[in-house]
Amino acid sequence: MSPAIETVALRKTFGDNVAIDALDLSVERGDVFGLLGPNGAGKTTTIRMLTTLLAPDSGAARVCGFDVSAQPSEVRQRIGYVMQRVAYRGLLTGRECVEIEAALYHLPRREIPVLAEAALDAVGMLPHADRRWTTYSGGMQKRLDLACGLLHSPEVLVLDEPSLGLDVQSRHNVWEFVADRRLGGATILLATNYLDEADRLCNKVAIIDHGRVVVQGSPSELKRSVGADVVEVATREPERLRRVIETERWVKKIVIGELGDLHIFVEDAAVALPAVMRIGLEHGIGLERVTYSQPSLDDVFLLHTGRELREVAMAP
Amino acid sequence: MTVEQIEEKQSAPADSPGSGAGTRRQYAQEVLALARRWWIELLRERLNLVFSLAQPAIWLVFFGAGVERAIDTKVIGTDDYIGFMLAGIVTFTIVGNGVSGAMPLLWDKETGYLDRLMSMPIARSSVIVSRFVFQVAQQSAQILLVVLVALALGVRIATGPFGMLVILLTAALLTMSVTAAFSALAYAVPQHGTFFAVAGFVSLPLLFMSNAFVPLEAMPVWMEVVARLNPLTYAIEAMRTLVLNGWEPRVAASLAVLLFAGAICLALGTWQFRKQTGERVRG
Ligand SMILES: Nc1ncnc2c1ncn2[C@@H]1O[C@H](COP(=O)(O)OP(=O)(O)OP(=O)(O)O)[C@@H](O)[C@H]1O
Ligand SMILES: [Mg+2]
Repeated sequence: MSPAIETVALRKTFGDNVAIDALDLSVERGDVFGLLGPNGAGKTTTIRMLTTLLAPDSGAARVCGFDVSAQPSEVRQRIGYVMQRVAYRGLLTGRECVEIEAALYHLPRREIPVLAEAALDAVGMLPHADRRWTTYSGGMQKRLDLACGLLHSPEVLVLDEPSLGLDVQSRHNVWEFVADRRLGGATILLATNYLDEADRLCNKVAIIDHGRVVVQGSPSELKRSVGADVVEVATREPERLRRVIETERWVKKIVIGELGDLHIFVEDAAVALPAVMRIGLEHGIGLERVTYSQPSLDDVFLLHTGRELREVAMAP
Repeated sequence: MTVEQIEEKQSAPADSPGSGAGTRRQYAQEVLALARRWWIELLRERLNLVFSLAQPAIWLVFFGAGVERAIDTKVIGTDDYIGFMLAGIVTFTIVGNGVSGAMPLLWDKETGYLDRLMSMPIARSSVIVSRFVFQVAQQSAQILLVVLVALALGVRIATGPFGMLVILLTAALLTMSVTAAFSALAYAVPQHGTFFAVAGFVSLPLLFMSNAFVPLEAMPVWMEVVARLNPLTYAIEAMRTLVLNGWEPRVAASLAVLLFAGAICLALGTWQFRKQTGERVRG
């Protein structure tokens, strides 16, 4: 069977701005595939091409084996798309929104009320179904969008930052929703800025930056590729500290994050931690905080791009 | 819309017999679903509904009771001033509704819901067509009401009930052109401020540079020339003749011109819609 999503040397420019540059992705059926990257990396642009909203400049993109440019209606029938921005739906109630979109997906007229209820129920919105959607909170509006995206049981569900701006409770609802869809056999493409989300939900991730895949694989593979442990040091003099410990045998790589924290990739934190403190003391470099962690996807991103995703993602 | 349907037929799998009929049924389902959306919104905006329904009737009463006394009946060529104004007021309403009718399309474009729609397996044209169908239906109800008010005020339509039907048809034709033109504008502008600026700028001159208030015969030559280039003039001429005079050949001539103008506006609307969705993949 053809992969759920496949792009080959996909490219899209806006004037001089190369948004997507030779992007190669392959998403197998049943995957929950995470598209990670900082703001402006090209996640939404990629998704807009995959959902036939934007014509690629060159290269090819196929969804369930159908080319997005040549067979757009085949593609549209097979995808459910939840946009990054909540869709504006006028004065309708939640139920009306869902029923109207169900009709637009050509579901049989008689079954629409039942299917609409089921979709609303799946996202926990049934109790609020008959209120105007404008009276919903941001998280509820997002869940309404999710309900609309799964109405026609799409083979591929495309979610653009589904938990953007949600509270912990609503994020967990979204995560459960994704896990349920996956059990139902759907393929899910999920763009996100939240690494913990990707770590938790995805069996494969691709980190993209400047419109290119920086690295891809399963979250555990990627984390293993970082090395054993990461020691993080907060100090006023990151550059000086870097210079004095760079030459140590146990150091694999050092990157300075955007907040000025030192991320030291090491074989074994048990050796590195006391050593860092000793060296700091010897050179009179004040250390404000020293922590160590198992590598996270954050560290993967940092290692491959020299930039930190976390700060970018935390910014509103 | 026929082009879209053909495209869809071609892309439908060859082994599904009767997919043509299915496509037509699907198309109807799409248009109805989208029209349902407009319909619900209309009902929810009660104030808007009341005002837009009552406004033309109020105009008619206002003109009948007040302005009539200030008018020289020799200039307008008839004693029946309300009958004379009826066509103008119908046209007035159509232009007003053309502006407000394009607004939902503008919002869909600006808020991104158009994108959501375009990611669905629907024919592109159903978005516009649903709006047209809806506008014409709403407009017809409104015009029927005005005509009934006019009848109550003593106007007698020279061509009888069948003439009334043709009046509605004429209004529908004009509604199509005006809706298409303002939809084109809605899709063409970078943002809604421009839309309102342009729409406000063109609506009034469009009305005053027609025979809505003054018959062509009474105009200075330059004004008559301008009015003759204005599609509204032909709608008014057709409707006014049907009300005041009876079946005359110029009704057919005016309808022909209107049809032509409608085709141009429709082409314009389609062109702008396609341009707006042009970055997107056709289908
Ligand atoms: N319609 C457009 N016109 C011009 N430039 C655009 C357009 N859409 C996107 N871009 C540019 O393309 C690049 C990628 O944008 P994109 O929206 O895909 O980023 P993203 O990864 O989704 O970011 P975010 O996390 O902020 O949603 C950015 O540099 C953006 O400015
Ligand atoms: Mg985005």
